[in-house]
Amino acid sequence: MKSLAWRGNIDFYSGLLLVAVAGVALLYIRTLAIGTVLEMGPGYFPLGLALVLLGMGLCLLVKGLLVSGPPVGMFYLRPLFFILLSFAAFGVLVERAGLILAILVQVAIAHFASRETTWRESSITGVALAATSAVVFVWLLKIPVELLP
Amino acid sequence: MMDVFSLLGHGFAVAATPMNLFFCLVGAVCGTLIGVLPGLGPVATISLLLPATYALDPLAAIIMLSGIYYGAQYGGSTTAILVNIPGESTSVVTAIDGYKMAQQGRAGEALAIAAIGSFIAGCFGTLVIALLGPPLALMTQKFASPDYFSLMVLGLVSAVVLANGSAFRAVSMIFLGLLLGMVGMDMNTGEARMTFGLIELSDGINFVALVMGLFGVAEVISNLEGVSTRIVNHSKIDSIWPSFKVLKGAWGAVTRGTLIGTIFGILPGGGATIASFSAYALEKRIAKDPSRFGNGAIEGVAGPESANNAAAQTSFVPLLTMGIPTSATMALMVGALTLHGIAPGPMIISRQPDLFWGLIASMFLGNAMLVIINLPMIGIWVRLLNVPYRILYLVIAVICAIGVYSVNNSSFDVYMTVGFTLLGYVLRKLDAEPAPLLMGFVLGPMVEENFRRSLITSHGDPMAFLQRPISLALLLISAALLISIVMPSVRKRRVEVFAE
Repeated sequence: MKSLAWRGNIDFYSGLLLVAVAGVALLYIRTLAIGTVLEMGPGYFPLGLALVLLGMGLCLLVKGLLVSGPPVGMFYLRPLFFILLSFAAFGVLVERAGLILAILVQVAIAHFASRETTWRESSITGVALAATSAVVFVWLLKIPVELLP
Repeated sequence: MMDVFSLLGHGFAVAATPMNLFFCLVGAVCGTLIGVLPGLGPVATISLLLPATYALDPLAAIIMLSGIYYGAQYGGSTTAILVNIPGESTSVVTAIDGYKMAQQGRAGEALAIAAIGSFIAGCFGTLVIALLGPPLALMTQKFASPDYFSLMVLGLVSAVVLANGSAFRAVSMIFLGLLLGMVGMDMNTGEARMTFGLIELSDGINFVALVMGLFGVAEVISNLEGVSTRIVNHSKIDSIWPSFKVLKGAWGAVTRGTLIGTIFGILPGGGATIASFSAYALEKRIAKDPSRFGNGAIEGVAGPESANNAAAQTSFVPLLTMGIPTSATMALMVGALTLHGIAPGPMIISRQPDLFWGLIASMFLGNAMLVIINLPMIGIWVRLLNVPYRILYLVIAVICAIGVYSVNNSSFDVYMTVGFTLLGYVLRKLDAEPAPLLMGFVLGPMVEENFRRSLITSHGDPMAFLQRPISLALLLISAALLISIVMPSVRKRRVEVFAE
C-alpha cells in the first residue's frame, strides 16, 4: 500500500478483530432460530448486533487500508506470556494440587514476567501470599478449596 | 423536605451498626490504598473484592464497594501532589499545580485543601442523591419498555462520550460488549446461545472474569513493560493545617468545583474525570492571573479535587434511581447489586429503603472517615509507595486468580480471565478502550429484553420508540450527544481536554 513495509495501523487491525468476532458469532447464530419481528427467536437480537459489528469492522478495515493511521502499540511478549501462563497454571492446579501449591507455582511463573524480580524477594512474597490466602480465604471466608493435594 | 431528613435519620440508624461501620471503613481504607498505588484502579479493585462480598449482607457489601470508589478519589490526589504520579485518572490535573506546591514546600497545604475540598464536595454530592433520588425514581417508575430501551441507549451513548479517542471505535466496542452480553441462556426460550457447547457458559460470561481480565490483569502486564521508575519523594510535610489565608483563597474554587462535579456526575457522559478537567479549565479561565496556574495555584488543586469527589457521589443517582450505569465503575455496581439479588432501578428506593438510605448515610460517614484516614495518617500511605512494583504485581496476580476462582469455584473462570486479559492487552495496543465494552456487556441483556418487549407490545412497529414522549426525548438527547462528539468544533475541544 503506502510502502513495501506497510505493517497496518490500529484501524486496520481493530477492524480485523471485529470482523473475526462477528464472523464467529454469525457462524454460531446460524444454528439459532431467528424468528420475525413479531415473534423474535433467540437469534434475532444477536444477529442484528453481529451484523452491525461486521459492518463497523469492515468500515474500520477499509479505512485502515486507505488512510494511514497510528501504528499498533508494541507488544511486550515477556510479561504477557508469563502472566497468562501463571494464571493458567493456577487454574489447572487449584483443584488438583490445592491452593498452597497453586499459589506457589503461580508466583514462580509470574516471577519471570519482570526482569527486576529477585528470587529472594519472590520466594518470600510467594510464601507470605500462600500463608495469608490460606488464613483469609479458606479459614475466614470459607472458600471450599483444598489447601494441600 | 422534612421527610427526606427523617428517612436519612433512619439511614444513619441502619448504617451505624458496628458491622456496617466496619465495612464502610474497610472500603474507605481499600479505596485510599488503591488510590495511592498507581496501576490499580477502582474498577479492577471492586471486581477483585466482589467475590469476597458474596458472603456479606447486601447493604454491607454495597457500602464497602462504594467506599472503595469514592475513597480512591481521595487517595489519588495524595500521589498526584507528593510525587507527581496521579494514582487515578481523576487526579491527573491535580498533579499540575499540586506537585508544584509540594516542590515549593507547600505539600501539607495542598493535601489539606484537597482533603477538605473532597469532604465538602462528597457531602454535598451525597445530599444531592438524597434529595434527587426519590422524585427521579418516582418518575422512572412510569417508564414502559420502550422508554427503558431508550434510556439504555442514552447510557451507552454516554460511554462513547467518556471514551478517549475516536467515537466510531468506541461505538464498535459497545457493540462488541453487547454481543458478548448475549452469550448464555436466552431469557425467553431458555435456549443456549453462543456457548460453543460449554456448560460453563450457559449462565453467560462470568462478569468478574471479564472485568478482571480486561482491566486488572491487562493493566498489570502493561505496567511490567519497560523499566520501572523508582519513585523518589523529596517533599517533606511539615504542617497539614492550612492557614486561614489559604482557606480563604481556596473557598471559591471548592464551591465551584463541587457544583461542576455534582452536575457532571448526574449527566450521562459526565463522570469524575471530565468533571475534574472542566473544573481546572474553569478555574484557569476565571482567574485574575492565569499565569499562576501550573506554578502552584491552590485553586488548581481545590477545584478539580472537589469536582471529582462530587461527581463520584452523584454518579450513583442514575444507577440508584433508573438502574442505568453511566460509567464503568457504575456498571460494576450493577454487577454487584445483581450478584446480591437486587435489581438496580427505581424500585430500590421504595422496596429496599434500608439499602438506599443506609448507603447514603454510609457515604456521609465514609467521607468523614476518609478525611481522618487521609490527613493525619498521610505518612503511612506515602511509605506504601516505597513497595516496589516487582513485589506488588505478584500479590495482585495471586489475589486476582483467587478472586476469579472463588466466584463460582471454577477453574474455567480462571481460563476465561486468561482469554479476556489477552483481549484487553490487544485492545490496549489497538488504542481501543475497554470501558465502553464493559458498559455494553452489562447493559446487553437488559437492552435485548426491553427491545423485545417493546416490539411485542407494539405488534412489531418500530415507531413505538418514537411515539412515546419519554422515549422520544431520551433518543433525541442521545442523538444530540452523539452528534456533538462528532462535530469538529466539539471534537477539537475534547481532544484538548484529554491531551492536557
